[in-house]
This record gives sequence, C-alpha cells and structure tokens, in this order.
Amino acid sequence: MPGPIDLETRNTSQLGLLGSDYRGVRFELLCELGDSVQAGAAVMRDARRPEIRISAPGPGRVIRVDRGARRKLLSLQLEFDDSLGVVEFKSPAGLDRDSQRAFMLNSGSWSHLRTRPFGNIPDPDAEPAAIFVTAIDEEPLAPPVATIVDAFADEFSAAVEMLTRISAVPLYVCHASAYRPPLDPASAAVCKSFGGGQAAGLPGRHIQALCPVGFAGGEAWHIGYQQVIALGHLLLHGRPWLQRVISVGGDAVTRPRCLLVPVAAAIDELLAGEVDTGPTRVLNGSAIYGRDPLPGQAFLGADQRQLTVLRGSARGSETDVVDALIPGDWLESLAPPGIYPVPLLRALQLGDAERARQLGALELVEEDLVPLSRACVSNSDYALLLRRVLDQLEALR
Amino acid sequence: MTSTPGNAGWAGVGRQRIQRIQLLALLPVCLAAIFNSGYQFLRFAADTDAFAGADLRSRLAMSLVLNREQPAIYDYFLAGLAHVLPMLGLALLVGGLWERIVAQQRHRPMEPGFVLVALLFTLLLPGAAAFTHIVFGMSCAILLGKAIFGGEGKYFISPALLGIAIVQVSFPAASGSHPLWNGLAGYAGSDAISIYYRGGEAALTQAGIDVGSAIVGSIPGTLGTTSLLAVVLGAALLLLTRIIAWRLLLAQVIGLPIFATLAWLFGGADELPAHWHLLLGSFAFAAVFIACDPVASACTNPGRWIQGFLIAALLVLIRTVNPTHPDAVVPVLLLAAILAPLIDHAVIAWDIRKRGQRHV
Repeated sequence: MPGPIDLETRNTSQLGLLGSDYRGVRFELLCELGDSVQAGAAVMRDARRPEIRISAPGPGRVIRVDRGARRKLLSLQLEFDDSLGVVEFKSPAGLDRDSQRAFMLNSGSWSHLRTRPFGNIPDPDAEPAAIFVTAIDEEPLAPPVATIVDAFADEFSAAVEMLTRISAVPLYVCHASAYRPPLDPASAAVCKSFGGGQAAGLPGRHIQALCPVGFAGGEAWHIGYQQVIALGHLLLHGRPWLQRVISVGGDAVTRPRCLLVPVAAAIDELLAGEVDTGPTRVLNGSAIYGRDPLPGQAFLGADQRQLTVLRGSARGSETDVVDALIPGDWLESLAPPGIYPVPLLRALQLGDAERARQLGALELVEEDLVPLSRACVSNSDYALLLRRVLDQLEALR
Repeated sequence: MTSTPGNAGWAGVGRQRIQRIQLLALLPVCLAAIFNSGYQFLRFAADTDAFAGADLRSRLAMSLVLNREQPAIYDYFLAGLAHVLPMLGLALLVGGLWERIVAQQRHRPMEPGFVLVALLFTLLLPGAAAFTHIVFGMSCAILLGKAIFGGEGKYFISPALLGIAIVQVSFPAASGSHPLWNGLAGYAGSDAISIYYRGGEAALTQAGIDVGSAIVGSIPGTLGTTSLLAVVLGAALLLLTRIIAWRLLLAQVIGLPIFATLAWLFGGADELPAHWHLLLGSFAFAAVFIACDPVASACTNPGRWIQGFLIAALLVLIRTVNPTHPDAVVPVLLLAAILAPLIDHAVIAWDIRKRGQRHV
C-alpha cells in the first residue's frame, strides 16, 4: 500500500518491544510464547496500573521473551506475519475527558506519553501542568519533521485536538521557527517556535522554557510528533499506523537517508547491507544525543527517529576508571539552559540526590546529559548517574 | 557495571589534550622569557661587572655569549637560555621526583600535570631566584598544592601559585631584590611597578620602559610575565579551545582599568595610571594562566564575572595602598582562589531560590 509519504520502505521479519522504553513499569504479559497477535492488540500491561497497556507493534507470532537481571523484561520479540491483520478500534464514545482518555488507554497510545520529571508513563488519572507535543527535531541528520507532519496533516491535527481534551491544561505544539505545523484554526493548542541549535528539539528545553517542573511536585507530559500521528491514525482510520520514519546516517553508512520502517523493527535487519565493512558502533539516536544500545536493545525504541553508525569500535568499559572532572568552559555551552553544569555533574558523581535536585536534576532525563558525558574528561557516564539519582528522588516521593 | 551507555571512553584522551594545549599556549611566553632574560642580563652585566660571574647561571651565560659589548640575537638567546633552562630543569626534576614518590605511595600512575606546574612556577620567578628557593617552592607546590588534595582536578588553589606564594612569604628579601633583575641596585622591589613608585614616569623612561617595550616584553620583571604580546598569543589559543573561561578573563581585563581609573581619580595623580596597571607587573600573565586555571576558579558563569571583578578590585586596592606589595598579583590571586568556592556557593544558593519560585 503506497502511503502518503514518498520514502523507501524497508520491512523486517522481526519486531521487538523494549522493556527499557517503559521505565518504572512492572510488565504483566497478556500473551504466551507462540501466540499469534494482531497489530495493535494489547500484549503487555503494567501490573501496578492495569489500565496502561502496551500494544503489539505489528501482526506476528511471539517468538521470544528476553529477561535480564532480576527477571526484568528486556524485550518481547515477534515474528512478522502479515496475514494476522490488525485490530480495529472504535472511535471514542464522547468528547469528554474520560472517554478520550479511555480511548488512548485501550489502544495503547497512552504509553507514548512521558512525564517530566522522571520520564515515566503518566498515571491514567493524573493531571499535568502542561502537555507538550514535540514537532521539532534539530539534531544532525534528523528526519524532516515538516515533510512527515504535512504528509499526515489530518492525523496530526486530529490527535492534537484529542490531546487538548484529555486535560484542561495548556497544550503546546513546539515547532521550528521555519515550519508551522497544520492545526485546526479553532484549536486550543498553542504553537511555540524554538530555535538555537541542535538541542532545540529536546522536550526538556521546551518544558524548561514554558513550564519548568520539579520543585513543587508538578509534572509536564510530552509526546513525539510521530506518536501523535499514530494516535491520529487510530482516530481517523480506526487502525494503528504500523510504520515510522527514521533516518540512517553516520560515517559508516554507505547511503545515509530516511526510511519508512516498521514500528519496533529489528536494528540489524534494518542495517543489513547499509554499513561499511570493518569495526563499527551503532548509536540509538543522532551522533550528538545518541547513546550506545543497552544489552538486549536490538530493536528501535518507542520514540527513536535516528540510527547512527560510526566507524571504529566502542571502547571497553571504562566507567570504573573515573577521573576528576575538569570544570572547563567547554561544558557550559552543552549544558541545558538554567543548569550550572559543573556543580550538577559533581553532585551526580557523588550521588548526592538532594543537591542534584536543587541544581535542577528533575528537569532532565538521560538524553539531556549525553553531550556533557562526551565532553567531560572524567570518563563518567552522567546519563547513568542521573538515572540513579532520579530513581532515588522518585522513591522519596 | 556491565555496559557503558553514553560515551565514556571517548573522553579518556581529553585530559592529555588539554594539558598539551596549555603547554603549547605557554610556548610564546617561554620564548619571550628566554630572550628577555638574556637581554636584561647583558644590558646590566655590561655596566655592573660585579654581578656577572656571581653565580652559576651568570658564569654559564658569560661563557656562552660571543660578544658582550654588541650582542646579537643569538647572544641574547644563549644568555637567556643559560638562565631559564637550569631553573626550569631543576623545577621539573623536583616536581617529577615528588610526583613519582606520591604516585608510588598511592599505587597510582604518575600524573603528568607537574610539567605545567613547574613551567608556571618557573615563569613566575625572578631571574635570579636561588636554586634552594626553587627546590623549596616546587616541593610545596606539588605536595601542598596538589598531592594533599588528591591530585589533578581536585586542588582549589593553582599549585604553581601556592609555590610562588610560599617562596615570597618565606624569603621576602631574596626573591626579588637582585639588582640585575630590577635595574636598580639596592631596591627591594621585583619589577617595573616599583620603578614607577620610586620615580614616576621619569624613572620609567630612564629605565628604558615605554608602552612599546612593555608590550614586547623587554622590561624588568619576573621571568615569563613581561611580554604582553606573548601572553596574548597564549590566551588566544586557550580561549579558542575554550579551556579558560572568557567571562573570567574579560571581567579581569575590563575591571582592572575601571578600578585603576577610580583609584587614579580619587587617589591623586601619583597613583599608577590604568595602562601601566595592565602593562607592567605580572597581571597579564597571571590573569590568563593562573587566575583562569579551570580547576581553581569559579565554575558558574555569574561566579566567573564576580571573581574577575573581585581580582581587579583587590589588585588595584593592594597596589594602591600597600607599597610593600608593588605587584600584588600573588596575594590577590590566592585570595580570589580561596573565595571562588564561596562565590559559587552564593550563586548556586541564589539559583536554587529562583528555581523554587519558578517551578510548578
């Protein structure tokens, strides 16, 4: 089926949901090994908040459930089988908050929302201070937001309308200054343009500028533009959008370009034949904000828009050889706005959660600190240290 | 820890790279130091024969120089080399020795940072500093300035500065009073600023000091601090690579003329005018290489502005009201380094208050 977007399509025989995409969720499987599931059918739910469901990325047979230390779910893998078809969803019963939320929860779209602080899936009955739609991606080699959103203009604006109804708080659609996303003229959503380099597309920057959170216990929610399109697809057509646009780039990629790929596609199948011979390392994300895959992370993540393959092999584990931090001026420009990088990084190194909270750690998630880890001479992985501190702070709430 | 998400490992080479750039930035200063030592030595050795041959370095210089009466470029260079190299070599030897002992005792690899410390320490010494002072000062710099805090990246006062400060406090008369190096026999001041305080502009002219020579660096002073030109070259490299914070440097460079002009307006015309504050003494060198040491300066942007202006204000204050410290750079930078954590603390406390008011 030729889609509305003119891009090379790639299919993979394996799909996988990553446990690491859904932080803080205690997974309860709704399917057995060997079951055949339709695309969009619920395959897992959160044992603590059973309304929150995670749906199958595509039609297929469950072939493997990978578990790591302490039986933590690493991934649930499916073998693609087109004959199984997709689940049809009925449109929401009404325009009120509860039926709109029920639609999102039933269809699994709720699991695409993220809270700041902490980066969790929001509670089904929680109220945020604001909702952010991230319709901007300024990272190097990012897929073109304007082309993708314009190709799905109806879906996008329908989903934004739905998001304005799930809560009475302001909804911000954050976009690049050169591009204004298509919205219903009567929409309650507020468009905000952002500029200022590669970091302008990070949700943390938008939240920090419009609705800083963390100190008073409030939270903001954010969602990426491709997930908004997927939600709109469900609304308008009753069936899930089973594709995503990602860009494949990096100096080891023979033909860097954008691809239309299945949701949660297997990375090694996607990269087969795309990469030069020789040692390479794959980053999930761009060359600036991308991170090395965690063990078991062999599939595209929930909001992943880029794959970067660089020449040269990753160095071995050196995090145990941690040197002192040299507080140079070069760290300053890489820090998120309103954050003093050196005191924060020192607090993270010490694991001083209270100090880190005062210095703004709650405004951040891992992606915000990746460039600082790369630039700092101390060899520390601040993204990892931040998550430890956030876990401590979350436990205190 | 089983994996390294993020990019731990890429940065492992970062620290050595920083040190190499810092050493490279000191190269023009070293060349200027060598030429100026040779120049000052031959200039005064010609009329005061008594001092030539007084110590090892002078004898070495004399034996190397081909033509004392009309020296050529290489004569200056050789005479300067004869002075700078033994001092630097000794400082490196002492620093390296202590570094090695510390590394052995702690069962850690040796840190290469002592090279930079030794270089900075030597460049802040007067050309006739006694070898015993170098041994004493370098020992203090490595042990008290660096090792007891846990090594590189953990000290809070630049080790070279601490070494120099201890030498100046311990041997106040010896460290700067050699007549060969200040052009005025019998006066216990180390540099051109003392000349100004003795006789004003006339004395400077008589000693051959004008704006041009102060920029090039052919004036009396501690070894590496005379040439503004060389310092500017080094500073440009450090600023381009963002190793030093431009805010801290700019605050000092703007602050000094402002406070100097204030002192000049309210203190009277016999105070040092603003341009001499910048050109004479070791301000320029120390502002770039000591005050902006990334480890031992304020680490928040507002803190950098505050610390820079504080250095400028204290410097003018001490130079103006305390004639026993004509240069005053060393005590001022010590004070500023000690205050840096306090400044940062205040900036952060203010920021935390603001964050509490802003957040939902």
